[in-house]
Amino acid sequence: MSTWAARLDNPLSARLRDPAATGALGIFLGAFAAFLAIPPIEARTVTWPIVVGIVAVALGIWTVSRGRRRLGWGAVAAGVLGIALGMLATRSSTENLGSAFDATLVAQTFSFATPLVFGSIAGMFSERSGVVNIGLEGMMLMGAFWGVYGADKGGSWVVGLLVAAGVGGLVALVYAFFAIHLRSDQIVGGTGVNFLAVGITGYFFVELYHNNPVPNGVSLLPNVRIPGLSGTGFFAQAIGDLNILTWASFALVILAYVVLFKTPIGLRIRACGEHPRAADTVGINVYAIRYGCVVLSGILVALGGIYLSEGPQGNGSFIFNMTNGRGFIALAAMIFGNWRPAGAFGAALLFGFSSALALKLQVYSSSAATLFQILPYVLTLIAVAGVIGRTVAPAADGKPYVRQ
Amino acid sequence: MSDDLVLEMRNIRKEFPGVVANDGVSFDVRRGEVHALLGENGAGKSTLMNILYGLYRPDGGEIRLAGKSVSFSSAREAIQSGIGMVHQHFMLVPVMTVAENVVLGSEPRSGVLLDERVAEKRVADMAKTFRFAVDPGARIEDITVGQQQRVEIMKALYRNADILILDEPTAVLTPQEASDLFEILRTLQREGLSIIFISHKLNEVLEIADRITVLRRGKTIETVPSEGATEASLARAMVGREVLLRVDKEPAQPTDVLLEVRDLHVRDDRGIEKVRGVSFDVRAGEIVGIAGVDGNGQTELIDALAGLQKIESGTVEIAGHALTHASARAALDAGIGHIPEDRQRRGLVLEFSIAENIALHDYAKPPDAKWGWLFPKRMVQRARTLIREFDVRGGGPFTRAGGLSGGNQQKLVAAREIARDPSVLIAAQPTRGLDVGAIEYLHRRLVAERDEGRAILLVSLELEEILSLSDRILVIYEGRIVGEHTGDITEEEIGLEMLGGRETAAA
Repeated sequence: MSTWAARLDNPLSARLRDPAATGALGIFLGAFAAFLAIPPIEARTVTWPIVVGIVAVALGIWTVSRGRRRLGWGAVAAGVLGIALGMLATRSSTENLGSAFDATLVAQTFSFATPLVFGSIAGMFSERSGVVNIGLEGMMLMGAFWGVYGADKGGSWVVGLLVAAGVGGLVALVYAFFAIHLRSDQIVGGTGVNFLAVGITGYFFVELYHNNPVPNGVSLLPNVRIPGLSGTGFFAQAIGDLNILTWASFALVILAYVVLFKTPIGLRIRACGEHPRAADTVGINVYAIRYGCVVLSGILVALGGIYLSEGPQGNGSFIFNMTNGRGFIALAAMIFGNWRPAGAFGAALLFGFSSALALKLQVYSSSAATLFQILPYVLTLIAVAGVIGRTVAPAADGKPYVRQ
Repeated sequence: MSDDLVLEMRNIRKEFPGVVANDGVSFDVRRGEVHALLGENGAGKSTLMNILYGLYRPDGGEIRLAGKSVSFSSAREAIQSGIGMVHQHFMLVPVMTVAENVVLGSEPRSGVLLDERVAEKRVADMAKTFRFAVDPGARIEDITVGQQQRVEIMKALYRNADILILDEPTAVLTPQEASDLFEILRTLQREGLSIIFISHKLNEVLEIADRITVLRRGKTIETVPSEGATEASLARAMVGREVLLRVDKEPAQPTDVLLEVRDLHVRDDRGIEKVRGVSFDVRAGEIVGIAGVDGNGQTELIDALAGLQKIESGTVEIAGHALTHASARAALDAGIGHIPEDRQRRGLVLEFSIAENIALHDYAKPPDAKWGWLFPKRMVQRARTLIREFDVRGGGPFTRAGGLSGGNQQKLVAAREIARDPSVLIAAQPTRGLDVGAIEYLHRRLVAERDEGRAILLVSLELEEILSLSDRILVIYEGRIVGEHTGDITEEEIGLEMLGGRETAAA
């Protein structure tokens, strides 16, 4: 009796019995069912996806019965989808699958996710402190252009990084002045930043580079080759040759988590985003925290921007309006991840994956590829609608603070 | 004796555009005393305390702490000088834990990290020493209002406060929680803390305070020891005239049933069933009071009656006509008048003028409008009449509603609702945050409307108000009516029922 009681009090078992956990597990298994049929696992019979998918559906139904309806139905849907996708995948030829789902897909996913990770963590700092930063897109674009400029004139990608970060921080500082000091509408202000960035980068692109996309011989962001991981093995292809900023983005996620949730300054930042007056009454300088966070946000998202132009995909050339909405997708990843670093990272990977997959699928069907590219937006809409657990923004997010 | 003074405020003056909030206010606090600041809303109590707490800078006067002249330019400086404040609206972050809220701004560290273990341990120690009964790891949004208040007190103690300011601390508490709070305050007093207790409730002040300073219109009226003071003498000092503290009313003469509620079930916005099978009648010519601790289904009950919340099951009838699934408009047309509990968020459009607020219900009907065309002049005329009739002070028909004082805003809401001649009048927290004068007016008005033959449903968290106004009292606990009383009953008995005491006793 007493051991039973002890076991029931065990937090882990309590967590497992929480319908939220089973619902989430169901959704995960549903997704897993689809992946069973594709490399590297590549189960060649339809049995496994069906079994796992049914487990997902069962978990979903149990969750629904426990009152968490949205989550439960989400798991059911994921299970059904998983079975369907798994069956589709096992029917198509192995060669086709092999070329679409290989290790380079993983590397591509990380590559596409990198600017999104920077952007979503950037947005998180800003919004956790209580300032909505819809200007991420523009700040990213500034980073993309001035990063190339810095690398070109300074002769080194390091200079490029510094210039990008500096310009991003500066634009964010201007935005912060409007949003925090002048208390102007943050959506309007952020949109202003976005248009301003298109104009500024466009103008200087013509002025400095005469619309010529490739300044010759620009020093690029280097890739990090991991010693011992080379050749054609799965891991070697997946992570053996990632860009330095991709690795930095991984570190950033951990760092952001530690700073926001494990340090005094993080506690203060979150307090400013939830209840600035409470923070003020215990002597925290709300304005200073918010300025700091918005500027940091500008710096980080500009690093995401320079990855676009100076990273492996950009190859050292700036293209007019090259961010093309990635700042907004980063914002979506942050919301999808519920304003938490791990969540945002997961969302950024998911979005990166859909972009990478779209690129691969281009070979077979460009219409399917285009369809895949809208996946991030659909997922974000679903997340905001609250199907997969409700996302909760910081309570004071977007509300200018007025001292009494 | 003067070396006993931990705080002196001399001739404090503070002006806001158009108002002198503090006009030469003086008062002092001795070590280990509870000093009450008593005054109506707008008397300048909060301004004075915000000056002391460093949130406002005074335009004149001097503050001396333990004999030394000080001047604070921020709350941080006041905190460092040992002043702690428990605000009326708690300054707590709902999604964070008790411990996180307590240490926020002065966190214990290990290296660069926040030392959560030390934080939780210190809070647990403090809770044990002062018998606060608060779990340091609990989230603020999950604990009761009384516990939240203790967290606020802990915040001050954690920062080594030796002067503790409490701004209207009992406004949100049940009688039991309030007496727990007083117990805590006495403990703190024994530990040598000095406590400034802001209130406009006379009985409380007399119970807890050693000395009482009365403010009126920004001026100090008097400082008296609480021994020898009476409610009547304090009320006179506060308002500046004789005040009728008890409501004078004839016994009720109830006639027909106007509001009939049967087995009502209502869920809140999150889908939680908050009203679980409530049945009652309200007759013409009686005031039925619903007593209960905040959050026991009162809000959902009122919203369901007013057509603002969907009814799960059960029926509502107004004078025999079914109104169960009616819209707010249909509820109004059926004869429900509704004075909502939050006049600023739901009762008024603060940015609208008085005249526009009065026209909110009947804007589409003659005389305000005809054939879809508004007649502003008629609106203004109607507003003028009602302003006079209900004694709304502080502006004319064109004054912005947000610019009125709380009492006058409430009179405005009452004017609009009563002017529609409703058969059933729902008054939710009609005097919340109002001062004695305005309370007196609204209470008299409600009794007068009862005598006019209206059925009045009064929902209030103020037990005293329920007891003095109601002809019949229903006690609501966790969405059910757990008691009904007509005759004499004490605050303690009802208080026990409000906490589910009867149910536990029966079980």
